[in-house]
Amino acid sequence: MTFRSAAVGSTLFVVLGLAWWLAARIRLVEPFLLPPPAVVLDAAWGLAADGTLARHVLVSLKRVVVGFTLAVLVAVPVALVFGLSRGVRRVAEPPLEFLRQLPPLALVPLFILWLGIGEAQKVGIILFASFFPVFLGVSGGIAGVDPKLVEVGRVCGLGRLAIARRIVLPAALPSLVIGLRIGLGYSWRALVGAELVASSAGLGYLIVDAENLARTDIVLVGVLVIGILGLAADHLARLAVRRAAPWIRDDAGLADA
Amino acid sequence: MPEAGALEVVGLGRAYDAAGRRVVALERVDLALTAGSFTAVVGRSGCGKTTLLRLLAGLVEPSAGRIAYAGGRRPKVGCVFQEPRLMPWLTVAGNVGFGLVGRLAKAEAAARVAAALDLVGLAAFAEARPDALSGGMAQRVAIARALVLEPELLLLDEPFAALDAFTRRALQGELTDIWLAGRPTVVFVTHDVEEAVLLGETVVELAAGRLVGRRPVDLAFPRDPTDPAVAAHRRAVLDRLMQPDPASRPEPETLP
Repeated sequence: MTFRSAAVGSTLFVVLGLAWWLAARIRLVEPFLLPPPAVVLDAAWGLAADGTLARHVLVSLKRVVVGFTLAVLVAVPVALVFGLSRGVRRVAEPPLEFLRQLPPLALVPLFILWLGIGEAQKVGIILFASFFPVFLGVSGGIAGVDPKLVEVGRVCGLGRLAIARRIVLPAALPSLVIGLRIGLGYSWRALVGAELVASSAGLGYLIVDAENLARTDIVLVGVLVIGILGLAADHLARLAVRRAAPWIRDDAGLADA
Repeated sequence: MPEAGALEVVGLGRAYDAAGRRVVALERVDLALTAGSFTAVVGRSGCGKTTLLRLLAGLVEPSAGRIAYAGGRRPKVGCVFQEPRLMPWLTVAGNVGFGLVGRLAKAEAAARVAAALDLVGLAAFAEARPDALSGGMAQRVAIARALVLEPELLLLDEPFAALDAFTRRALQGELTDIWLAGRPTVVFVTHDVEEAVLLGETVVELAAGRLVGRRPVDLAFPRDPTDPAVAAHRRAVLDRLMQPDPASRPEPETLP
C-alpha cells in the first residue's frame, strides 16, 4: 500500500473524526454519551501505558487465532469431502444447514454449560461462528469450478484425488479467500460476544467492565481497537493472498481508476 | 492393426436423456483409423462430431458399440479443445507440463516442456501467465500441453474455430508440420469444410449423428487453399453435407 492510497483510504476516517470532535465541541451530545476524541485518546493512552490494553488485546488475539485456525482446519476438508461425494453431502448437509441458522450468541449458554467459562468456551464460539463462512466459501468455490478444466485433468489421466488437489482446490481459491475473510470478521464479532458474557480478560471484557463503571471513553477505546485490529487482520490477509495467488483479481475490471 | 494409435470404431452410438426425451447424439458409426493417419471429421453443429471425439477421449462412455485399439491397449491420448482451457494459476510452462507432474523426473519433464514450447514458438513465454496471452498463443499452449504427453492419438475439437483467419491459417500449417514430424494418429473435428480438406488425409462427413461419407484427399502437404483440387474436394464435401438429412429426423443437440 502506497502512502497515497493510505491517505485516500483514511479520508473518511478523518472526516468522521472531525465531525465527532465538532459534535463534542459545540455540545451537540452529552459528553457522557459521546466523550470528545481527546478524552478517548487520553483513556487509550492510559490503558496503553500501564499495559492493560496490551494484555486484553493479546488475550483476544490468541482466542481469535486459535478459534479461526481450528475453523479453517475443519471447514476446508469437510467442504472438500462434500465436493467429492454426493452421498456424504446428501446425508450431512441438512444438519449442517440447521446448525448454520443458529446465531453463535444463542449458543453461549450451552457452550458455558458444556465447556465451562474458560478458553475452550470462547474458542468454541469462535470456531462455530467462523466455520460456516469458510465452509460455504470453499463449497461455493468447488461448485463453481469450470467442468472444462476438470476435463483437462481427466484427459491427462488424473484420478479424482489428483483432480481435487491440482485443479479443484486452486480453482476454488478465490471463493475460499472470500470465505476466509468473512470468517475472520465473524470470529472477531463472536469473540467479543463471548467475552461480553463470561470473561475476566479480553477486549469484550474491557468493554463490559467499562460499561459497569460508566466509563464511556473506555468503551469507545475497546470498540476502536477491535475495529482497527479487524482492519489490520483483513489487510494482512489480502496482502498474503496477493503474494501467494497473484492471478486472483479484486475487481471485475469494471471499476474506474 | 499392430501399430499404437490405430483404432477401430464399431457400431458406436451415444444417446442421453434431456428433459425426459431420449436424444441420439451419435448412431452406428463404423470407422477404422490406421496408425499415423490424419482424419478430419466435418459436419454442421449438432451432427455428433464433438460426441465422437469425447467418446474417443474417454470423457463419455458409449451407449452402443465399442472402440477397439490396436494391441488391445488404449493409446496415449492428447486432447485439444475449442477453448485453450489453461489453468490461470499456472505459468505457461506449468500448464504445458500439467500432465507430466508426478510421472517424470522434474528435469526430464522440464526438458520436454521446453521442447514442446519451442515447437509451438512460445519458448520466450514459459514464465508468462495465461491471461497475458492472445487467443492464438493460448491455443498454442494448449497444443503444447497435448504434445508433451507424446500422444499416439491426438484429438482436436475445433481447436482453431475461435481464432482470427490469419492465426488460424498459421496454426493449421503448424499442426500439419507437427503431425508430419511425429506421426501421431490425429482426429481433427471441425465445422469448417475447407479446413477439413486442407488438413485431413481423409475427410469423414457426419450428419445428424450418422457417418454419411468418407473421402480420401490425396493431395500433398502443405496444401494451398487456392489449389483447384482443394476447391473441388471442398465442393464435393459440401454437396454431401447439404443433402437432405439421410434419416430425415430432427437434428440432435450436441452433448453439453
